[in-house]
Parts: sequence; structure tokens; C-alpha cells
Amino acid sequence: MSMPPAAGAYTCPYCRMASDGQEATCPHCGAPVDVRVRVSDSGWVQQPPIRDMARIRFSHSTCQISGTYVPVADMGLHDADWVYFSHHSLLHADPNVNLGNLPMKGGWKRMRAGLPLIMMRAQGPGHIAFSADQPGETIAVPLRPGQGVDVVEHRFLVATGNVNYDWHPANVWFTTGKGDDTEWHYPLGQTIDRFVATGSNGLLLLHAPGNTFVRDLAPSQRILVQPGGLIWKDPSVSMFLHFEYPRGAYWFSSARYQAKSTWLTLEGPGRVAVQSVFERPEMVGSVTRSSGATTHQW
Amino acid sequence: MDRIECQWCKAQNEPGRTNCTTCGAPLDTKDLVTDSGWAEAPRLRDMTEFRFSNSTCQIEGEIVPVAELALAQGDSVFFEHHVMLWKEPGVPMSALNTGGGMKRTLGGMPHVLSIAHGPGRIAFSRDAAGEVVVLPLHPSMELDVREHAFLAGTHSLTYSFVRIKGLANVLHGGGGMYMDRFVTQREPGLLLLHGNGNVFQKTLQQGEKILVEPGGFLYKDSTVTMNAVQQNVKTGLMKHGMYLAEMTGPGRVGIQSMYVHHGSE
Repeated sequence: MSMPPAAGAYTCPYCRMASDGQEATCPHCGAPVDVRVRVSDSGWVQQPPIRDMARIRFSHSTCQISGTYVPVADMGLHDADWVYFSHHSLLHADPNVNLGNLPMKGGWKRMRAGLPLIMMRAQGPGHIAFSADQPGETIAVPLRPGQGVDVVEHRFLVATGNVNYDWHPANVWFTTGKGDDTEWHYPLGQTIDRFVATGSNGLLLLHAPGNTFVRDLAPSQRILVQPGGLIWKDPSVSMFLHFEYPRGAYWFSSARYQAKSTWLTLEGPGRVAVQSVFERPEMVGSVTRSSGATTHQW
Repeated sequence: MDRIECQWCKAQNEPGRTNCTTCGAPLDTKDLVTDSGWAEAPRLRDMTEFRFSNSTCQIEGEIVPVAELALAQGDSVFFEHHVMLWKEPGVPMSALNTGGGMKRTLGGMPHVLSIAHGPGRIAFSRDAAGEVVVLPLHPSMELDVREHAFLAGTHSLTYSFVRIKGLANVLHGGGGMYMDRFVTQREPGLLLLHGNGNVFQKTLQQGEKILVEPGGFLYKDSTVTMNAVQQNVKTGLMKHGMYLAEMTGPGRVGIQSMYVHHGSE
């Protein structure tokens, strides 16, 4: 006779949280329990999409993910729990859910950076649902007390009240042109969001277009990714730009102009997550200045 | 003889069928309803076929599905001309004058709807990832649909359009100035919609209310009232008015999960 596994016997390979493994999905992040971890030859782990109608538990509340193209996060909030979110991600709410605004600092800077100026909060009891505006996956990132992640702007969907939200300059930029014609480029956006759980376990929900892949980087291990492909990273992962100039037959193709590749270098230790849909980088003129960057000319 | 009731359109189906003959919904999957009471529109399997009148409709593809209709002699469908993906050359076409030309121009809606008559094949699709929602309408039903969401309607449906009442609803409702209204008389009809992302439906009881992002509204029974209600949101010295659509029952409400937020920023 086989014995049931003890509580904490199952560690989710995606969110690294422990549970009894008796449910079909991880109660912390919604990832299926009964699927084999799929790892590409290069080491990327495909984050399995959260199954339709899967439930995630946090504090006294639940979050149910429904739909597959543009999933909806439908939260049943306990009266002691609250969440915050960007107002444009709200899909529907019970009239008795208490909606209000969350004080935000740096309104002017946020406006200049193209970030939502208003962050709203919803206090239970009641149901409230959120969705993004493009096909992709909802990613649940459960956070232990004190644990934080850096999230690229516009990926955030909703977070529980005990997750502290802050944002700081991404410090990934370059300029093209000179003098009055100088153009500033921010491949990651001007700022990056940081979410840190305080006091107890927190839950962060993100939306990523396309499919999602995660991997662990060892200390000093580097990987080049499309800047628009990054979703989140551990704060311990550092990042900087990398420019590559392929060798060409003509000056136009080789001379640091159109044929340049702009990469984001991620350096471990820590976890990183990327999405399969990303904005095509602009083929802009030659780089005149940049944040810390490496260069390779082939 | 046992019959299988479709959980989406309530039609009775012969034993052994795997999808509903009236709306194409899979019959062998359980009803997916969230804890808050929203039912997922059935995800139609690729190449699902179902019947209406003497014609058939086949749904092809899953990301941006195509509705391909094989129209029988005597059957016809009406649609906005830009949703037609292809048709056989011999399919006769005519135009349905919707009336209210200037109003429709102001509302950004097409003046004329196209009608395709059988016999022949014709196919429709919209230009966004999402789902085809099949809504069989029983006799004496009225359904209001967000503008630019309808794909095709069968000849037994009466088409009209209704102005969204209240200036606040027009300016802040996110649904434009008008809604399409589809009414059945004595005959049943079939309405095909395209919902962006995933589509969910909830039936509100008499007086029951739900707040919905205006851009997420897709359709409702005409018995459901819709009003824009303001949520005041303050950030420092700045105050923003955010509007949500308050839907009040009785009746069905359909929403889509991908939408454009008509924002307050």
C-alpha cells in the first residue's frame, strides 16, 4: 500500500513553493502538477500555461484563471484581503467590492515614462476580475516574505496588498544622432518595477504575450536576449546592453548603422523569464552614447 | 429516447453526437463556470459543423476562427462587408439598407449591410485573435450587441440599431453611440459574433447588478439595462473619472477578455 505524500513533499518546479502535490495544479502559481518539466536543449524551461479554471490560493482568498487566449484572473476576495492593479486591467467587479485609489509617488516621472498614473486597490469581500489586452499567458509569481522580483513595465496585472511596489530607472538606454537631433532610446522602457513581499507570502500576477520561458543563471553566467522579450528577473541578475555589428560587404551594412543588433545581456546569479512575443527593435542610426554596454564587431 | 441538452444554447441533440447541431458547442465537456458565475463560451473545435435552416456553418481555425457557411437555396445571411473573407463567385449579393444613414455615419457604422444568398459558400472572419460566439436566438428574443462585433446573422433575424441612452453612457461607456439590435419574430435565428480574446456569459437575476469594463462588454439581452457609473480615483492633487458599465438584470450579459480601455489617463 502506498502512503500519501506528506505536506510539503511536492515543490513546484516553476514557483519553487512547497505543497502536498495532491491537487492537479500548484495552489501557489496554478502550474499543472501532472506534467513533465519541458526543458529545451539550451536550458530554457517552458512555463506551462495555467489550466483553464485552475485556482490559486492566497491568504484567505482565491484566484481562478479562466480562458486561454486572453486569460482572465477572477479573484474571490475575502473581506480581510485587498489587491492593487492598474485601472485599465479591470474587467468586471461585484458592486460591493470596495474600489479606491492607491497613493503613488512620482506622478510626473511616471507620466513622462508612459506608466499608468493611477493604481487602484480593491478590498474584499466580493469577486473582481482582471485581464490584459493581448493574447498570451497569465503568470503567477508567488513571493516569500522578503523575496522580490524586477518586472518590465506594462507586464503587471495585479498584486496582493502585502506586496510592496516600487520602481526605479532601468538604466538601459542609448542615444543616436547628435546635438539637437539626439534621440534617446529605452529598449526596456525608462523604468523597471520592483515587487517585494512583506510580512507573509504574496502573489504577483503578470501577463506575457505569447509563451513564457524561464531559466536559472549561474553566477557570472551570461545570456543575450531581445530587450523586448524580458518579463521579469531576480534582483540579483544584472543587465546591460550589448551591440553587435555583423561584417558586411558595404559600408552601409557594416559600418555601425542599420545592421546593428541591440541585445540585452543578463548576468547571473538568478532566475529570468522571457516571452516569445516581443516588439521588433528599431533599426536606428549609429549609437553615440549609451548606458553601460559591450560591443562586438564581427 | 434520451436526448443530450446543449449547455450553451439548450437545444436537444441526438444521442451519440459530440457537438451541438444548433450551435456547434462540444457536448462531451463539462460546463465551465467560474466561482463568480461567469460561463465560458464553448470553445468550438476546429472544423466543427452545425446546421441552421437548410444550410450549414463550419468553424475553421482556433486563433482567429473563420465561419464558413454553405448556404442552401432560399437561405441568406447579412453582414458588414469588411468581415467577408472569401466567397464563391456565383453567390448572389444584395444590400440591406439599415436606415438612419447620417446617424450611422456619425456613429462610425457602415451604412449598408451586405446580404449573401444561397446557394453557395461564403466565409467570414474578424481581424483579431478571439472566438466565434454562436448564439441561436429562439422566437421573440431581442439581443443587443456591441458595434463591430457581429459577424453574420441569418435572414430570419430583424436587424436594427439602438442609440445608447444617456450622454455619459455614450461619452464614457466605451461602446460607441449605437448598439446593434437583433430580434427574432416567429422563426428562430442564428447570430455569429466575434469576441476578442475569450468570451464569458453570465445570467443576471431581476435587479442583480455587475460592474463591467465598458470595453469588455460584448452583448446583452435587451432586458438588461446598461449605465455608465463613475469611479472617482485620486492621485495626489489630480482627480480622474473612471467609468464602468453597470449592468442590471434580468438577462444575459456577454463579455470579452481582450478590449481597448477607454481610459481616464
